[in-house]
Amino acid sequence: MESLPEPSISLGIDTGGTFTDLVAFDAQSGQLATFKTPSVAAKPGQALFNAIQGSEVDVARIAELVHGTTVCTNALIERTGARVGFLTTRGHEDIPYIQRINRKTLYDLQWRKPKPLLQSRGDCLGIDERMGSAGQEILPIDPDDVAAQCAILRARGVEAVAICLLFSYVEPAHEQLVAEIVARELPGIPISISHEVAPIWREYERASTTIADTYLKPLMSTYVDSLTESLAEIEMRAPWTIMKSNGGAMKAAAAVANPIQTAQSGPAGGMIAAAALGKQAGEPNLLTLDMGGTSADVGLIIDGAQKHTTEYEIEWGVPAAIPLIDIKSIGAGGGSIAWIDAGGFLRVGPQSARALPGPACYGRGGTLPTVTDANVVMGRIDPGNFLGGRMTLDRDAAEAAIAPLAAQLDMSVLDLAAAITAIADENMAGAVKMISIERGHDPRRFTLFGFGGAGPLHACAVARALGIPKVLIPIFPGNASALGMLIAERRVDKVWTQAFRSTQVDETQVAQQFQIILDAALAELRAEGFTGDPSVEYSINMRYLGQNYEQEVPIALDGAIGMLETAYRTFEDHHAALYGYTIENEVIELVSFRVTVRGSRPPIRLSVEPDRSAPAQRPGREVFFRGHGFVSATVWDRYKLPLGSRIDGPAVIEEPGSTTLIEPDMWAEVLDDGQLLIWVAPETEGQA
Amino acid sequence: MTSTQSNPIDPVTLTVIDNFLTSTCRDMGVTMMKTSYSPIFNESLDFSCVIFDPDGQMLAQAEFCPSQIGTVKFTVTWTLDELGLDGFEPGDVVVHDDPYRGSGHVPEHMMLKPVFYNGKIFAFVANVAHMSEPGAKTPGGLSGDATEVFQEGLLLPPVKIRSRGKDVPDIWKIILANHRTPKVTYGDFRAMLASLDLAEARIIELLDTYGEELVREASRQLMTISERRMRAEIAAIPNGVYSFEDAIEDDGIGTRDFPMRLRLSVRDDDIIADFTGSAPQAIGPVNAIYAVTASAVYNAFLHLTDPTIPRNEGCYRPFTIIAPPGTIVNCSFPAPVAGGNTETSPRITDMVFGALQQAIPDRVVASCGGTSSPFLFGGTDPRTGDLYAHFHFEGVGWGGRKGADGNDMVVTINGNCRNTPVEVFETRYPAFLIDSYRLLADSGGPGQWRGGLGGERVLTVQNEVTVSALLNRMKTDPWGVLGGDAGSRGGLWFRPDANSEWRTFVDAFGTRSPSKFSGITLESGNQVRIVMPGGGGYGSPADRDPALISQDIENGFVSIERAERDYGFQAGMGER
Repeated sequence: MESLPEPSISLGIDTGGTFTDLVAFDAQSGQLATFKTPSVAAKPGQALFNAIQGSEVDVARIAELVHGTTVCTNALIERTGARVGFLTTRGHEDIPYIQRINRKTLYDLQWRKPKPLLQSRGDCLGIDERMGSAGQEILPIDPDDVAAQCAILRARGVEAVAICLLFSYVEPAHEQLVAEIVARELPGIPISISHEVAPIWREYERASTTIADTYLKPLMSTYVDSLTESLAEIEMRAPWTIMKSNGGAMKAAAAVANPIQTAQSGPAGGMIAAAALGKQAGEPNLLTLDMGGTSADVGLIIDGAQKHTTEYEIEWGVPAAIPLIDIKSIGAGGGSIAWIDAGGFLRVGPQSARALPGPACYGRGGTLPTVTDANVVMGRIDPGNFLGGRMTLDRDAAEAAIAPLAAQLDMSVLDLAAAITAIADENMAGAVKMISIERGHDPRRFTLFGFGGAGPLHACAVARALGIPKVLIPIFPGNASALGMLIAERRVDKVWTQAFRSTQVDETQVAQQFQIILDAALAELRAEGFTGDPSVEYSINMRYLGQNYEQEVPIALDGAIGMLETAYRTFEDHHAALYGYTIENEVIELVSFRVTVRGSRPPIRLSVEPDRSAPAQRPGREVFFRGHGFVSATVWDRYKLPLGSRIDGPAVIEEPGSTTLIEPDMWAEVLDDGQLLIWVAPETEGQA
Repeated sequence: MTSTQSNPIDPVTLTVIDNFLTSTCRDMGVTMMKTSYSPIFNESLDFSCVIFDPDGQMLAQAEFCPSQIGTVKFTVTWTLDELGLDGFEPGDVVVHDDPYRGSGHVPEHMMLKPVFYNGKIFAFVANVAHMSEPGAKTPGGLSGDATEVFQEGLLLPPVKIRSRGKDVPDIWKIILANHRTPKVTYGDFRAMLASLDLAEARIIELLDTYGEELVREASRQLMTISERRMRAEIAAIPNGVYSFEDAIEDDGIGTRDFPMRLRLSVRDDDIIADFTGSAPQAIGPVNAIYAVTASAVYNAFLHLTDPTIPRNEGCYRPFTIIAPPGTIVNCSFPAPVAGGNTETSPRITDMVFGALQQAIPDRVVASCGGTSSPFLFGGTDPRTGDLYAHFHFEGVGWGGRKGADGNDMVVTINGNCRNTPVEVFETRYPAFLIDSYRLLADSGGPGQWRGGLGGERVLTVQNEVTVSALLNRMKTDPWGVLGGDAGSRGGLWFRPDANSEWRTFVDAFGTRSPSKFSGITLESGNQVRIVMPGGGGYGSPADRDPALISQDIENGFVSIERAERDYGFQAGMGER
């Protein structure tokens, strides 16, 4: 990079199931450009190739590329990964099949227990060995036995091997030995080892994560090869990385080695964008609402930082305990279908019309009423100016789809359309509540960040329902995930699991262990391509001795005596804040120790200069609001609005990938970076 | 929608209020999971959370444990009757576990808190949870040879454990002095209290938002809607009287069976479940109190009807349950009852399916393994010198149903508890090493849709431990329906060491029953083998798709020998 001053363009490319979004930022000019192209399922590299070509970015000037991908997400959903062999402690071969023995919902005799990501139970083999709960060796391992099991796996035709032995998170020696023998006996076969993939207790959760990782390995390897080839074809020589679920980016080789990390690649990009754009607007505390075609993801950002978790499920009952940005997903999107349940209740989602056939108004054969159809009927979406005019929507088809339901409930089509959007809004508000109120955060102290194609249309209603005072709509809300990839930092999370009691813990040993995982994390960060000065955060997961779930307590590892005492006090404060009590004189258990290293990048200011060549105002139209009826709304072309403009609701602000709706009694301000800040009127007394 | 109400509330508001109440119950559960001490709480989630109105009508519940949800309505009603509404002040919490005052069995502790609004009680929030140590004759309770309820734990009539927001120290002292693991009880009780406080705050928030009148009216209308929907579902079942009979095998004291007889009448939109003719109550702990029997019948119908019906009092109104006093399905004081809730309950639920197999063949399932396999143990933790106790249970194979095989190894229908992972189990309870925990091939009942597989667990004792058991389905079959065959039976075995022969506990220790006993001391090196029954099959095995049989063989779910014997399978039949 030093030899060539020209490369100054950063690319973020997010490949979703339907579209591939590109955002380009030129550090020299400060200009942002976006481009959208259909994804190509059969040859994934093709969409990247098309996006870069179509955006007319000068390839020679690309400084770097960060890529978000749903290749793993889709393989997990569609079950198209590798045939995995599972090696475990003898006697426990059925871990992936027994699972946790509970069922998804009560009262459903048709429920089917989820299948593991395995082709046959015969691919699960036991090894004679055993570690105890304190890491003591109970039964030594026999290398010949391991080799014999490898021969069986080879004969059965497995394509990848997952290794998960009991208590390996305490003592990994047996697992390491098994991995060495498998590597020798089955050369070329990818291996995932549980204490590396997810060093957590609970054998089913650890095994499931490990199986998922190895299940994706051959696929990710092929995917990266395809991308490498496509990028070579256009002579793209800049370094490129893949987005992880925790919001960090990693080199392609790292993704091949640990593909399960990319399971929530796309949504992570959106959360990065939210944090950065919120900060830029002076709004560091955000509730995020990313509403797309089939689902809505909600998240929480406090002081400019996302919340992180390891509780992720591929489907109900099939966990993948990877570090990821905490997002809650619900089935509420533009394509969510409205229906009447057996009791006569109107319901919306979780079934979706998806891209095909799509909402009725798309005119692709869909006949079921969706949220998008309701929005069209209410005049909130302009049928003639969808996707920047590249697609025309059929308002009559939308009405026709809603009419039968309206007749059934003895309501007008308009009232029913309004009810559909109201229920979708309530569902989303419920999800926002779960991540705010239920975790002790008052939504009224946050700003709602609305993005995704449909988020800006519904954000004001969701904010109103929760008493959230302000809504922030970013620039390019439909491309926010790609935007986030542009600015993603490098990030590695490492965990060490070993239980201590506060009465018996050795502060020196803790410090030493922190150093060991810190070194591992730093090595990984370097391997992922980071060369600068990383920031480091430490935390300990603690609970009262006897409890089973922990709280993450940040600690300052500065060598000072008494760091743990401070941590215990913080734990008690957290416990009191969350649950309203503490237990006096109770022993505290230290369960796991975490290090996060982050390689930050020079901050980029993301902004849009308005196009002043034409007036921003378009012809107004009648828009239906629940409780108001039809109201004349002003309509605006977003990127022609001068910075600092004030737009009073009711108003519609249109842009190619999205539509922002400003309700009556609310008003919006165009910030100096082009973002829209909407002031939500205080809730008036009484319900409509 | 038709409604006799003068002012029906719009469906959107009703949905929002129903969701709010249900999610409040769910969050109560999450709080308990995150803060409680015993694995029966935080790994197994053996608890339930509910909201009632001041008349004792259930407004909402979250999906945790079905048997508790049905029983708790009796527990709450009894408490309100006994204490009276005037007996409550803001900040009070009542604790209660007495089966002869409406509790399911002694280990199940209910806590109840009034929610005051504008100076009056608007609702009650309650949770019910299984305590791992109730202070019974043997560690963990569920003593398989108890003969009186007094042996099953410390009986608590409804008493205030917190009064006007303050702990009542005397009550705490009595309880903690009677439980073997007071620290665990203390932590679990704190978790229950925190969950009630959360629910109280959430309900007040709802009332602040919507107003008291609207929420009260909405609750009333939701119950009416649920009743109407439940009645519509019942009306769709052909009228008739349907009978079924099953038996609980021994009671830990004697060797005879205890037949249970059900005559289920469907009359338009009413159901009468009549258990007249069932065996007199047992001396041992397999008796169900009336609330448990009623709850088991509700549970069956909640499974057979539309799961989107809001779960409140209205769902129960179409049902009349007749269970003569002094019988195994409605025992009289002071008979022991621990197994009624874990063992007899799922069997009653399955009997409803069995009775209805001709009436609604497409919707019923065959019998599940039908036991929670309660295996209790306790002793002294050599690492700390503290006493410990645990209620260990197992999954079973579920019955086949039209269109799908039964699920393998899932907890019985009266609960929805998770297992305790081996790594959690051995860390918490160093008494045992778990040598194996696996599915058992050929345990699913043959049928067009095969019963789910049971399993087995082999444990090796590491240091002295006292064990008790209250299992079932070791002498009776998990039956099939509509021509399906039975799943395999369960078992409980002992051997002094890994090189000896497996023996029953009757042979080894002289217990009266192989499945129900208490207080047996095991020593280091001894082994225990718990076998979990499979589920019954649905439809004739002759109608099973050969491709499915091939898959079963490939997966090791069914052996070739049994495929040949049970299905007439020949190699090559299922190949495509």
